[in-house]
Amino acid sequence: MRKLIILVSALTISSGASAETILTSVNGMVCAFCATGIEKSFKKQAAVDTVTVDLDKKLVTLNTKPDKTLDDAVIKKVIGDAGYAVVSIERK
Amino acid sequence: MTTLHLRANRVWAGPWTCLLLCALPFSAAAKPISYVGGTMVMVENDETGNTLNIDYTFSPRAAAALYVKHEIQGNVFTAVGPQINYLVKRWNMPDGQGNVFTMSGAGTAIENSGKSHFAAWTGVLADYETRRIFTSYELRLMYAQNIETSVWQRARVGFAPYLANYEDLNTWFMVQVDHHPDKTHATTVTPLVRLFYKTLLVEGGVSTRGTAMINLVKQF
Repeated sequence: MRKLIILVSALTISSGASAETILTSVNGMVCAFCATGIEKSFKKQAAVDTVTVDLDKKLVTLNTKPDKTLDDAVIKKVIGDAGYAVVSIERK
Repeated sequence: MTTLHLRANRVWAGPWTCLLLCALPFSAAAKPISYVGGTMVMVENDETGNTLNIDYTFSPRAAAALYVKHEIQGNVFTAVGPQINYLVKRWNMPDGQGNVFTMSGAGTAIENSGKSHFAAWTGVLADYETRRIFTSYELRLMYAQNIETSVWQRARVGFAPYLANYEDLNTWFMVQVDHHPDKTHATTVTPLVRLFYKTLLVEGGVSTRGTAMINLVKQF
């Protein structure tokens, strides 16, 4: 029983640790009303848990669901389809 | 005050205005293209007439739209028809964005008597904005067979009194100048306030002749 608890805990910790934070620097993001398209589009992505848009830092922060990730190509397409240009993508 | 009241009534009264306002909150003061898969409903009520635009953006460069405008203060008619909005060019800069769009459509111009005529319209809209300043210029051509062939233009400048972030209420002070030679008054100047929060944008102003302006935009 003790071994089972340790195994379940390890799996849970392992699963939780695999969620990703993706910081995307974006050009052209000056209007909050227009940038709502970024939030709406990323929320349709199954891998995305939360989306934060920061006009001051020109940054879109994505937190993925456990064990999920989002390719750079998908991020660039979603932001491009919303009318903006990706400058850089950083993963933590 | 009385002048304002009377002129405001002239804009607000009438079945078209009621219809447009009843369309709220599903209701063109914003860019004619939003994000791929997004729908935007825009209602404008000003001295030139009452406009309803419903846009669906199907590609990063194009949106399919329904355009309805009830023209007043001159030839009174309603233009209705499908429209294609196209992004000709966009400049995404670190601290600003510039765009050039075209909006073209064709349909019917309906007189108050109910008589219908062929109508076609096209326009170009250029804008540039930062988080602090906004400028735009729009040139429109309206052909309504046997009623009117007109060219009109609209320019806007504005500034934000504070830098609002994404989650904040955004406030802008703007001035809109319309030049429409076929209207009773060819030139109209309207100071206005633009407020938006998330997916809802509201604009209100009063022209120098005392006519009320109310615009609403909702993104879905």
